[in-house]
Amino acid sequence: MAIATPPTPAAARRMDRLEVMWQSRPGVLGWLTTTDHKRIGLLYFWTTLVLFGAGGIEAMVMRTQLIQPNNDLVSPGTYDELFTLHGLTMIFFFIIPMTTGAFGNYLIPLMIGARDMAFPRMNALSYWIFLGSAIFLYTSLALGMAPNAGWFDYVPLASKQYTPGHNIDFYALAIIFNSIASTLTAAQFIVTILKSRAPGMSFNRMPLFCFAFLAASFGLLFALPPLSADAIFLFLDRNVGTHFFDPSHGGAALLWQHLFWIFGHPEVYILIVPAFGIATSIIPAFTQRRLVAFPLVAIAELLVVFIGFGVWAHHMFATGMSTTALVFFAGATSMVVIPSTIQVFAWCMSFVLGVARFKTPLLFIAGFIFMFVAGGLTGIMFIAIPFDQQVTDTYFIIAHFHYIIFGAAVFPIFGGMYYWFPKVTGKLYFERPGQISFWLLFVGTNLLFFPMHIVGLLGMTRRIYTYPSNLGWTSYNVIETIGGYITLVGILVLFGNLVWSYLRGLPAGPDPWHGPTLEWTTSSPPPEYDFAVIPRVTSAYPNWDVEDREEDRRKLAGGVLVLDEGHEQVEVTPVDGWLSRVVEMPHDSPWPVLLALCLSLVFVMLLLQHFAIAGLMGILCLLTLLGWHSKEPEAA
Amino acid sequence: MNRLRRGRLAAAVVPLALLAAGCDRKQNALAPASHQSQDIATLFWWMTGVSVVGLAVVIGLLLLAWKRSGRRGAAADTHGSKPGERVGWYVVVIGGVAVPILLITALFVVANLFVIKTTEAPAANSTKRTILVIGHQWWWEVRYPGTSAVTANEIHIPVRTPVRLEVRTADVIHSFWVPELNRKIDTLPGTTNAIELYADAVGRYRGQCAEFCGLQHAHMGIWVDAEPPAKFRQWLAGQSRPAAAPKGALASAGRDAFMTGACADCHQIRGTSATSQVGPDLTHVADRQTLAALTIPNTPSYLHDWIRDSQRFKPGNLMPSFGGLPEQELRELVAYLEELK
Amino acid sequence: MLIASEATLFGAFIGTYFYFRFRAPQWPPDGIPEPRVVVPLILLAVLLAGSIPMHLASQAASAGRVGAARLFVLAALALQAGYFAWAVHDFSAQLQMFDITRDAYSSIYYVLLGAALAHVALGILFDLWLLGKLVRGLTTYRLHATQAIAFYWHAVNVIALVVTLTLLTAAIG
Repeated sequence: MAIATPPTPAAARRMDRLEVMWQSRPGVLGWLTTTDHKRIGLLYFWTTLVLFGAGGIEAMVMRTQLIQPNNDLVSPGTYDELFTLHGLTMIFFFIIPMTTGAFGNYLIPLMIGARDMAFPRMNALSYWIFLGSAIFLYTSLALGMAPNAGWFDYVPLASKQYTPGHNIDFYALAIIFNSIASTLTAAQFIVTILKSRAPGMSFNRMPLFCFAFLAASFGLLFALPPLSADAIFLFLDRNVGTHFFDPSHGGAALLWQHLFWIFGHPEVYILIVPAFGIATSIIPAFTQRRLVAFPLVAIAELLVVFIGFGVWAHHMFATGMSTTALVFFAGATSMVVIPSTIQVFAWCMSFVLGVARFKTPLLFIAGFIFMFVAGGLTGIMFIAIPFDQQVTDTYFIIAHFHYIIFGAAVFPIFGGMYYWFPKVTGKLYFERPGQISFWLLFVGTNLLFFPMHIVGLLGMTRRIYTYPSNLGWTSYNVIETIGGYITLVGILVLFGNLVWSYLRGLPAGPDPWHGPTLEWTTSSPPPEYDFAVIPRVTSAYPNWDVEDREEDRRKLAGGVLVLDEGHEQVEVTPVDGWLSRVVEMPHDSPWPVLLALCLSLVFVMLLLQHFAIAGLMGILCLLTLLGWHSKEPEAA
Repeated sequence: MNRLRRGRLAAAVVPLALLAAGCDRKQNALAPASHQSQDIATLFWWMTGVSVVGLAVVIGLLLLAWKRSGRRGAAADTHGSKPGERVGWYVVVIGGVAVPILLITALFVVANLFVIKTTEAPAANSTKRTILVIGHQWWWEVRYPGTSAVTANEIHIPVRTPVRLEVRTADVIHSFWVPELNRKIDTLPGTTNAIELYADAVGRYRGQCAEFCGLQHAHMGIWVDAEPPAKFRQWLAGQSRPAAAPKGALASAGRDAFMTGACADCHQIRGTSATSQVGPDLTHVADRQTLAALTIPNTPSYLHDWIRDSQRFKPGNLMPSFGGLPEQELRELVAYLEELK
Repeated sequence: MLIASEATLFGAFIGTYFYFRFRAPQWPPDGIPEPRVVVPLILLAVLLAGSIPMHLASQAASAGRVGAARLFVLAALALQAGYFAWAVHDFSAQLQMFDITRDAYSSIYYVLLGAALAHVALGILFDLWLLGKLVRGLTTYRLHATQAIAFYWHAVNVIALVVTLTLLTAAIG
């Protein structure tokens, strides 16, 4: 319910009671022990921004090295660490945690009318584990032994024989470490989205944002284990002497690639599907129209992840697999195009049939559509196996995936930052600099990535720290580097604008955009308890349902579904959204950060090959879990 | 890196550029010199054409939205009326389902049922000649089964003659790629892969390793020289011969220095006591256009500098720098190696 | 959800096993004895039997009969601990015969078996914790815990079944 109309005295008393119930501890301790999804979302936000900066610096150093042939800004060894870290950071430590950890955590409860996630302490645990894994990985850089065999780290190059230092051990362990955080988050989202929705929000009335995050969560749950298995095998081969990847003892180098890409391909859909969710939240708000073909789009979001599990070997077309296998995977890849094209046209028609207000968030979504389509078209080209075999492992493919990742994941993230900025901060951002930041980014990224298509066709392979001057590649590289610097300026303008807006922006009120979903019914920023009354939902665009919001005001005054007796939340049936019971939620707790600390020690000990001590640390983890579960919730 | 070295490297470029100016090609997938590359390039141009149209449609829709955004009297859709929803569904189903299915099916059939027949690995014994290439960190070993010819970083083939190229690796995964002749093929430990090499026209075609293989992945190039059949046979016969005996005192001293020094520990020169196969075979090294897998030109002064300080040109490569060698010995070695044609 | 994730992990391990198997000329490779069939199957039966008392414990807890629930968990624990002790003994005996570092077969064999045993060990710890809680009576929380742990055991038992059968395929043909 919007706080625009002042609450009745009875309502105000209830809200005060709620505030007391849901208050966090003050100060640093409050942040360390928080279980509030909004605080956790903010923790993720700041942390991923720092890591985005690191990944960006890695990119700018590489681009500067490549501005001229035979350049010597960095040594080959350093360059190898740079491109490896850049890939790892952007994928595992920026996009996934920013979309799921920051946007997902902050917004999902607000969009479904809940007060928090289903497992708040596990939510905090995910963050602290994520932070631990990021520190773990970057410690390797500080020690001069960052991973250096590429983000997909093929064996045998990554085996002990060819890369004897600890670099790859950092890689394997950081990957497993990080995947624990993402797995917990995925489980969390699935349960929350299925069970914590407001009563009346049946499955088909969920915001598309939730469909997207549900799909991504299922994707993470099933895609991460093969990667973990791969990393476990690699760690064992390197440290214990097993032979998973050693053909001379019955192993296979290609096993690494299969397991990696069984994870890797769904992963790229996991990267962009949450961004689709952000886009489908922004479009209705800025076209003031329900999304065209909503049911088709919802199904498409789920399908794209599902089909994405069957296409992995299209990353391996040049490895010499049989033509039959290649054709099968190309066929599966063909199928995954259709859910994407459905969504593209649904978005475009929503733009056309609504009244589009091209404010900054929608500009970013327009830019996203352009870049996603461009990248998607080159992706379709790879269905032609001979063509793929010609350009794979060249700058053509770098162009393809950056159009998709930067265009289809990062642009919506930036758009989302602008869109929800008023909700999170209570202030309006400044529109003019916002638009300027968009255009700088749009021009910059196209200058940066488009020439890569050409230079890849001209023979420039990936992951080379330098190139000869007589192959005609130089001028394209210069343009790309300039584009990179323009992109950098765009990013600085964007964040500068957000900071300045935070300091000097006008008050936003609860609903500056007349947005469609429930987060716009509560104040900006939302109170600790998110909603004073659990909202009534009868459609997929609840903030536009005036009668329901009136009903909520009456419920608040009358004390219906206010749940101010304790730290309480509703549980509903997964499909129809009928109220099943009221549950007591855990409050702030030190156990998550303690458990994350113990887990970090396990990984450090494994890295140092102190296996016995690692085992002891594992037991410490179990003891921490014991402490976690020592206090039981009161019966509701 | 100091100015001198930078100047040196820049100077390496100039002769390479001159080399390139001749009948040398540039590693350009869109300048095909075989029917395989031609088919792939044609595929590319068709796909690009259709893609441009597709992108234009999407841009058109966005521009249309922008044009319509100024229109008055359109109320917010807060009562669920969803204006134009029918049209929307038509566009989504036709543009998002029907048209893509048609186009992708066409692409799939043409590329993966027809074109693939020319680019897939040729059957064993389907060609009259087989060449074996073994990837190493960071050079290409080239062998001609049925002869005793062994060389490095250069393949010679008879023009307009299909050749079966078998690829293996001695260490990590590499990828053999000469874009103007065919698509790439990875070299996997424990297996042998194959593609067909065929050149339409006489010329020298450039390629390089296309799978990250360590520190000097960037400097692992290869030439494929397509020659008239008679010239090719002459070359092959020459390559199969053992090394010529050194002429002159300087070269003889060089041979002795080679055999007794560290050189013989890694490099084979057929017909002598140097038989190690750790590094490239040097039996006919003077015939080659470049050194270090297309990194520097093969001239006496570059060879001299390479032996003295290979790590400067290709840091991290597996040949140590021999800066401690006396200048005289270096000159002798160079003299000997320059005679190995 | 987390069980689904673990199950997928085992799926990756099992996929690896068969990937190696179908590429190997001989399976098990030279020098490694074929796995015994009877003893592992008996052991497996003992473990799987533990699902019955766990299920009964879950039902008893739902009906409020905490005493019965405790006894059933204890019974399950006895079966599972018995299995575990014997299986660990077997595991270390096999390590004497062929080491994990021998080749790809031994690598995947011990990882599969070790991972399954680790999950059994974890389950036993869960059982002990549960018993400790149930000693002090029944609450809604403890009821849910009982149901969750019973479900965990059913999942682990299915995984153990698949793992055992997979490893035993080396004894066929």
